[in-house]
Amino acid sequence: MKHAFVFGLLVLLFILPVIVLILSSFAPGWRFPEIWPGEFSLKGIEFLALHKEKILTALGSSFVFSLVTVLVTLGMCLLPASVFAGSEFSGKALLEGLLLTPALVPPMTFAMGLHFLFIKFFLADTMPGVVLILAMFSYPYMFRALVAGYQTMGQEYRVCARNLGAGRLRTLLTVELPLLLPAIVAGGSVVFLVAFSEYFLVFLIGGGSVPSFTGYLFPLLSSSNRSLASILTLIFLFLPIFFFLVLDTTLIRVYRKKGII
Amino acid sequence: MKTKFLLKLSPLLLPYLVLFCGGVFLTFSQSLGFLTPLPYEGGLAEAYGSILSSPSFYSSFFFSLQVAALSAFLAVAAGTLLAYWVWKLPAKLQTAALIYKIPLILPHIAVAFVVLLFWSRSGIVSSLAHSTGLIEGMQGFPNLLYSGWGLGMILAYALKGTPFAMLLVMALLLRFDTRQIQTAAMLGASRLRTFVRVVLPRVAPAMHTAFIILFLYSFGAFDIPYILSESRPGMLSINVYNLYFKRDLARRPEAMAILVIMFCFAVLFIFAYTRVVNRLENVERKI
Repeated sequence: MKHAFVFGLLVLLFILPVIVLILSSFAPGWRFPEIWPGEFSLKGIEFLALHKEKILTALGSSFVFSLVTVLVTLGMCLLPASVFAGSEFSGKALLEGLLLTPALVPPMTFAMGLHFLFIKFFLADTMPGVVLILAMFSYPYMFRALVAGYQTMGQEYRVCARNLGAGRLRTLLTVELPLLLPAIVAGGSVVFLVAFSEYFLVFLIGGGSVPSFTGYLFPLLSSSNRSLASILTLIFLFLPIFFFLVLDTTLIRVYRKKGII
Repeated sequence: MKTKFLLKLSPLLLPYLVLFCGGVFLTFSQSLGFLTPLPYEGGLAEAYGSILSSPSFYSSFFFSLQVAALSAFLAVAAGTLLAYWVWKLPAKLQTAALIYKIPLILPHIAVAFVVLLFWSRSGIVSSLAHSTGLIEGMQGFPNLLYSGWGLGMILAYALKGTPFAMLLVMALLLRFDTRQIQTAAMLGASRLRTFVRVVLPRVAPAMHTAFIILFLYSFGAFDIPYILSESRPGMLSINVYNLYFKRDLARRPEAMAILVIMFCFAVLFIFAYTRVVNRLENVERKI
């Protein structure tokens, strides 16, 4: 009984919105006071097919800058995280706290100041500019995950590999990175989602010349075409889920092959 | 040794100093009238003067504070309870309970859209109320989203924040020993007492972290207010947006001054909150 109650609550909070979105996708004419759509149609899907190119460009662009942001944050955090996990130094706690602030303070406060600098250095309205601003705002998630990853891994593997004569780069590529993969995936997923779903920063720095899926979706959300907005919102939900599922299964396959699990 | 150490930290320290600190510095200097797109005529603190003397700034500030505090509180409370309940589910059901991650994936603007679908006057809840005879027509449904209380934004932030709080609390619960609850029950503690005295202290750190993150995010974010906000009082972020993009370039320092105030508030809040929590925990330990 208790279980049913908890589940009912979860479904009501988290599944019902998805069901309504699916219904509304296929019922452009769903209006007050109908609780169930009067008629279903594929008008929304037709519109989607008609504007296929624009939508795919926006989607592809969002995907690319989010993935690049993940890679950039990984590059930023890999070495510093190993230092933080493996050594004690004075002021460590303070420095760690300071390094986490970009994810806490409102991103507007530094992004709008940076906008000026980006215009001067021709980074405004470009993909690299968008990636930089997104990385600056989302790297703390990668950093935290990597520090935790290094801590669970411990020093022994690296020391052992180095003792056996492996170079620094080789140790990193063949020993450390594979062992850190779960942490990288965990941090990377969060960074990806943050970058993929951000609207304002992309709008500010990308200035409309960097297409993004959020930018495409935004004006539709307050328009009267709820069917189309619902379809695009569902894409937003299922695309990352699909992406993560593929990632998960490949990872498990890789681990099996390497005999890690 | 020292240089090697700094070199290793540099991939993070350099962007942090240049982009983050530099960005905040530029915001600050523009608020004083330096480095603005147009030469600024006013004095050093003129932008601050005009911001701090306008009553609409204060109403926006407190409105943002109220939306942020209420939504973060709701999300943390609901998230903690749900996390505890899900944690007590049998292992098989726990996998199915992963549905709670759905709003984590949805972007903020999509969550705002969901709130619009459900709670607007022509939305699902209104239709339900009509078909059960509670209201006569669309006008009978309370204008929740535009009531002046920011209810729409609070709902959206709470819906987006609940799974986030759940995630953090759940991570701590996974390392929590069930026998502690059984012991408490054997010693005669009621369910409520067990939850308050045994479980809550254990998950409190996650709750505090979740509260700080959610509170500051809803305090300064732009996406949800832009879809769900009411014209007056507006959230601070919307005021900044309007000043930055829609008004005269000459008013740029005012937008920047609001941002500096928001930044200082956020930093102060983090410090004050962690201080208070530490002190409370110390008091508790002494008892």
